[in-house]
Amino acid sequence: MADKDVVVDFLKGKSSSKSKFYFKDFQELFPDKGPREVKKILTQLVNEEVLEFWSSGSTTMYGLKGAGKQSHAEGED
Amino acid sequence: MAKHATPLLDQLETGPWPSFVSDIKQEAAYRAKNPKGLDYQIPQDCPDDLLGVLELSYVEKETHWKHGGIVGVFGYGGGVIGRYSDQPEKFPGVAHFHTMRVAQPSGKYYHSKFLRDLCDIWDLRGSGLTNMHGSTGDIVLLGTQTPQLEEVFFELTHKMNVDLGGSGSNLRTPEACLGQSRCEYACYNTQDMCYQLTMDYQDELHRPAFPYKFKFKFDGCPNGCVCAMARSDFAVIGTWKDDIKIDQEKVKAYVGGAIKPNAGAHTNPKWGKFDIEAEVVKLCPTHCMKWDGSKLSIKTSECVRCMHCINTMPQALRIGDERGASILVGAKAPVVDGAQMGSLLVPFVSCEAPYDDVKGVIEKIWDWWMEEGKNRERVGETMKRLSFQKLLEVTEIPAAAHHVKEPRSNPYIFFKEEEVPGGWTRDLEAYRKRHQR
Amino acid sequence: MAFISSGYNPEKPMENRKTDIGPHKYDDYFPAVIKKNFGKWLYHEILEPGVLMHVAESGEKVYTVRVGGTRTMSITHIRELCDIADKYCGGYLRWTTRNNIEFMVTDEAQMKALRDDLNGRKFPGGSYKFPVGGTGAGISNMVHTQGWVHCHTPATDASGPVKCVMDEVFNDFKDMRLPAPVRIALACCINMCGAVHCSDIGLVGIHRKPPMIDHEWADQLCEIPLAVAACPTAAVRPTTVEYKGQKVKSVGIKEDRCMYCGNCYTMCPALPISDGEGDGIAIMVGGKVSNRISKPKFSKVVVGYIPNEPPRWPTLTKLVKHIIEVYAANANKYERLGDWAERIGWESFFKLTGLEFTHHLIDDFRDPAYYTWRQSTQFKF
Repeated sequence: MADKDVVVDFLKGKSSSKSKFYFKDFQELFPDKGPREVKKILTQLVNEEVLEFWSSGSTTMYGLKGAGKQSHAEGED
Repeated sequence: MAKHATPLLDQLETGPWPSFVSDIKQEAAYRAKNPKGLDYQIPQDCPDDLLGVLELSYVEKETHWKHGGIVGVFGYGGGVIGRYSDQPEKFPGVAHFHTMRVAQPSGKYYHSKFLRDLCDIWDLRGSGLTNMHGSTGDIVLLGTQTPQLEEVFFELTHKMNVDLGGSGSNLRTPEACLGQSRCEYACYNTQDMCYQLTMDYQDELHRPAFPYKFKFKFDGCPNGCVCAMARSDFAVIGTWKDDIKIDQEKVKAYVGGAIKPNAGAHTNPKWGKFDIEAEVVKLCPTHCMKWDGSKLSIKTSECVRCMHCINTMPQALRIGDERGASILVGAKAPVVDGAQMGSLLVPFVSCEAPYDDVKGVIEKIWDWWMEEGKNRERVGETMKRLSFQKLLEVTEIPAAAHHVKEPRSNPYIFFKEEEVPGGWTRDLEAYRKRHQR
Repeated sequence: MAFISSGYNPEKPMENRKTDIGPHKYDDYFPAVIKKNFGKWLYHEILEPGVLMHVAESGEKVYTVRVGGTRTMSITHIRELCDIADKYCGGYLRWTTRNNIEFMVTDEAQMKALRDDLNGRKFPGGSYKFPVGGTGAGISNMVHTQGWVHCHTPATDASGPVKCVMDEVFNDFKDMRLPAPVRIALACCINMCGAVHCSDIGLVGIHRKPPMIDHEWADQLCEIPLAVAACPTAAVRPTTVEYKGQKVKSVGIKEDRCMYCGNCYTMCPALPISDGEGDGIAIMVGGKVSNRISKPKFSKVVVGYIPNEPPRWPTLTKLVKHIIEVYAANANKYERLGDWAERIGWESFFKLTGLEFTHHLIDDFRDPAYYTWRQSTQFKF
């Protein structure tokens, strides 16, 4: 499976309970890759508008674009 | 006529200190008048509504803001902080009120042209309110709506050639003291190191992949005006190795009262005449100074470069010539396990551009922390959890007595197998030949 | 309102996009005298409170006039600063780490005209716009956070209490009578995005009640696993509760584990933490960042709780002023507040200041607590 699909499948598989994940959660998907390689995969997905960032201000998470509850609740979509 | 009555906030308009309430009111009045005839891109009366919601907080003693996870512009994982009001019907002008962080030049020198250009963008597309500056050092543009985020970013980058700062789990906007630009104590070019590293690590600043935030701060000397060793994960603090340079004639001038001590920082007459023995020699933390009535001497090998004597007699004493910096790692504010001060990792590093030796240390720390750090764990906490020895190991720095205040007071040493002759695989049969069961 | 495009095309976000360009270079905005004498400064002198003179090897001098600024600042105010910089300084100005603004000129007469101009400008309400001061053994501007102006987890306001404290200590902003600088800072909650933990006087907003749980909305507004993961002490757990006869997904909070940080509210607006009667401010003293004479040290809590008293926070300002006066009367020259307290002993600090020592002030938070208890028979009666 292509690296990008591994990420997307993981996120879709979890979508019923959680839409956002820390960077480390993706590192676990690629035990043979270093953090910098994993970052490249995620950055590419962000640039292709598949993923988007979510931030608490102090931390940042990744999720599928448009997923989650808050943006809808605040009328941002 | 103000949109909302603000009897409590009005009481913050009196007293001598500059009143932020008066200032927000002046912005509200300016926007109401709109002398430039702008087609304001977010509600014209948002400063009024900000005062309104703040007055409500003053009545109830509770905040009316909610966090928003929106991070802002496309492709970046930081630089915008989302905020929503929890009273949007009462204060529609600030219902959505997101913040943008703009990268400041290191040392915070500006020309009015830059500031006016920035004000013009924020006049049209934002609230007209800012923070000069945020705690980490960025220019903070306070309050706009989502559709304006990309527009502001486009204008910042295309019209002003300036970028956003950091937030979230990335490298935060680095900050430096004003350094050699106007300070005789600066042991290296803090602004340049800050600028170069900021440019070299733009990817780390905009695209988060760390366990948590990571801050660089650059202080030119141990006086620490940007608080690097208290506030940054990676603190570079100027220092030197050789003799403090002494101008004996100037020392005599201080003793004789011709020059005001401490650069004139004390005006209270109760301190009386300058007393070099009491004010300098006896206050030296290592007692490495001597004044014999005509000559001041310093035993350099005993000096810990605390800056007191130099601060007290800046015309007579100067920092040495063999200059560089110390690197301290792991400072953070108290949550969760208590505040941490930076711990000394590199006693001395020369600070010549392009700073490859400093960057080498940074990148080794990042590689380790990205691999081993837990979610939301600052590197100082990773150090505590996995040991200072581990940090030395990954940065390939040999342990030295400089690294500790004192050696350990327990003998529970974790030896490595290769440190013990013969290793840990032992010959039980041979042992039993010497010992019965 | 008609939307005015900057040129950005939302259909093609990557088109013509400029990224990773960073800040402007630091020396783009150096006044000529700074550029010319970079790295060649000999010494400096504080000529009067708020006015510095730096002398370079070349013999050139630069006079700096420092004024206090409000951190929350309008563009109208910034434009006025620009007008002043244009009039006196060729357009150049800078900000300091402590929210002060500095104007630089090379002529002494020009410096005096600039200083007087700055001191002469006032808001209609009567406060100074640009008070000159904040140098040497006095009180510089406070660093602070957002508070009720823009933060979602504050336990107090920031700009308001700062205005009140600075009004109270204004004479020391304009003077240098103290034994050493007194750095005051305010963080509106314990997360301390303003990092006030090494200040001579650190004011910290504290909550005293765990968050409420809005069971009706928790699962609709939030992703429960995120709220659970946000808690630094593992006090938040997922649970199912009966709400109006319905079983709903929500969270439970182990109240005795909660350290009131508000991180769960960041992730989940159904867990509000703000509470008018519970929230307030703690006073910490004796921290420093400088390595001068003694090593850097953390501030210590000497007043565990003061209620929020908007708009003027009278109890807070009175206590801050009182601590400063006792310090000013008793400390030696060059002695920072924390150095003084350590020299006389903290028991003497409480005796001299008359502050009440309560059980709240004894550390009971994890490992570091033990190292703050007294393991000695040496103390003062």
